[in-house]
Amino acid sequence: MTAGATSPVHDERVAARLGLALGITFTVCFLTGLYSHLAQHPSWGFELPARPVGLYRLTQGIHVATGIASIPLLFAKLWSVYPQLFQWPPVKGVAHAIERLAIFPLVAGSIFLLFTGLANINLWYPWHFDFPTMHYRAAWITIGALIIHVGAKWTQSRRALRHQPPEPTGHADPATLDRRRFLYTAFGASALVVLFSVGETFRPLERLALLSPRRPDTGPQGFPVNATAKEAQVITLAQSPDYRLQVTGNVARPLSFTLDELRALPQHSATLPISCVEGWSASRRWTGIRVRDLLAMAGAPPHAAAQVLSFQPGGSYRSSQLNHFQAHDPDTLLALQVNGETLALDHGYPCRLIGPDRPGVLQTKWINHLVVQ
Amino acid sequence: MSNPSPTPTRERRGLIAGLVLGVPFIAVGVADFVANFDGPSFRSFLRFFIGGALVHDFVVAPVAALIGVAVIRRVPALARAPLRAALFGSAVAVAVAWPELRSYGRMRTPDNKTVQPLNYTTAVATVVGVVWIISALWLVVIIVRDHRNRDGRARPEPSRQQGLS
Repeated sequence: MTAGATSPVHDERVAARLGLALGITFTVCFLTGLYSHLAQHPSWGFELPARPVGLYRLTQGIHVATGIASIPLLFAKLWSVYPQLFQWPPVKGVAHAIERLAIFPLVAGSIFLLFTGLANINLWYPWHFDFPTMHYRAAWITIGALIIHVGAKWTQSRRALRHQPPEPTGHADPATLDRRRFLYTAFGASALVVLFSVGETFRPLERLALLSPRRPDTGPQGFPVNATAKEAQVITLAQSPDYRLQVTGNVARPLSFTLDELRALPQHSATLPISCVEGWSASRRWTGIRVRDLLAMAGAPPHAAAQVLSFQPGGSYRSSQLNHFQAHDPDTLLALQVNGETLALDHGYPCRLIGPDRPGVLQTKWINHLVVQ
Repeated sequence: MSNPSPTPTRERRGLIAGLVLGVPFIAVGVADFVANFDGPSFRSFLRFFIGGALVHDFVVAPVAALIGVAVIRRVPALARAPLRAALFGSAVAVAVAWPELRSYGRMRTPDNKTVQPLNYTTAVATVVGVVWIISALWLVVIIVRDHRNRDGRARPEPSRQQGLS
């Protein structure tokens, strides 16, 4: 980058344009992140719908892509305003002091969110806190600081965005050219990192996903896993002849099935995506028993919800919740096969949950218990 | 920043509106910290939250400034923007792929071959190569346009020619 505080890129017109782009990407990230949070932790009476099938895939793909797009934009924006860090006097009054104070959580929060998000999609956790919890809290703080900043800079930014430099000779002056080229560089770099990473969820660009930590076609049975059977310590239990799937809870008739009995039940097939919170996704053809058929067999109430339990001994995602929309959706399955093959151990053999519009972490693997509520 | 500043009253109104709308969002995040306080994880959070900003302001930005002085200012003015784009694009590609280049995810889950499955040295080198090719093409475009502009300025304007004849 051009050095020196006198460089034309340290200009309110550059800062306003980059700020506008970051305002859009951060708002998109916040809303899609909030949707993901509510999908995993239903609150405020929100219940994730089961349709459209690919909504979570779309929102989470956008969340990660806009986060990655924000990285070069944030670097460029911080560079354009860098000399202001050393402005003297540092504060010119109470209003200016408040405005400057709000910039710290904005800058620190933005860097924190992008760094932890990038680390998370790589399954890299060099800290001692729960990633989703802190990412969520930092997102609220950052978006709040962003709103304050937008308010404080509203008039100045509007004027800067409207400003068109005069070009009497038909050619821009060197300073204008420098500003434009700096913006081309920032937006170009942003587009390029998205182009080389979004293929992990957007199939037409799959072969270009050189910066992506996952490939949607790589893994057992041709798609990735987050937790392997070995990691989940289920290899022995999954292959035990004593395996049973139990349906208990708020039912008229508790049920228990061996694997052969499950295979003998009416099977249904659906093409559904595994959509991971880390941004990758892969669509596959799943075959298994409809959850709603099991609920009907057990005599569950018409609007019953259900908790799905795995036999893995530990882990945050050994159980998940099906709300009544999801439990009664015709495509919510306890899958025994994927693409016509018996599930691989790493994909949840002997039985896993797969349902439309759910985060991958809630598509519980190695299931042995359905508790009707 | 050559334009006159907007009136302080307008700015103050904007700031107040921002505070009214923004503080409740910050309060949601802070309230969640307070309601579920955990000392060790909060300290770790602070280290990354504050540390990230400090690393940017006192390491990344000064290094960028040094590169500006040491490299970009030494090349002809026409080549500065493409060179800056090449360096910036390369740095961003390396930063985005840093966990992959260091195999951090793979080290954490050695049994999971689906994490970071590529040879990322080759992958990042390819992306950086694309960045430099695009920057070189941009330089060519800038040089061609500059020559055209010089030719246009050197040629006398038709109206003046007519006036002189």
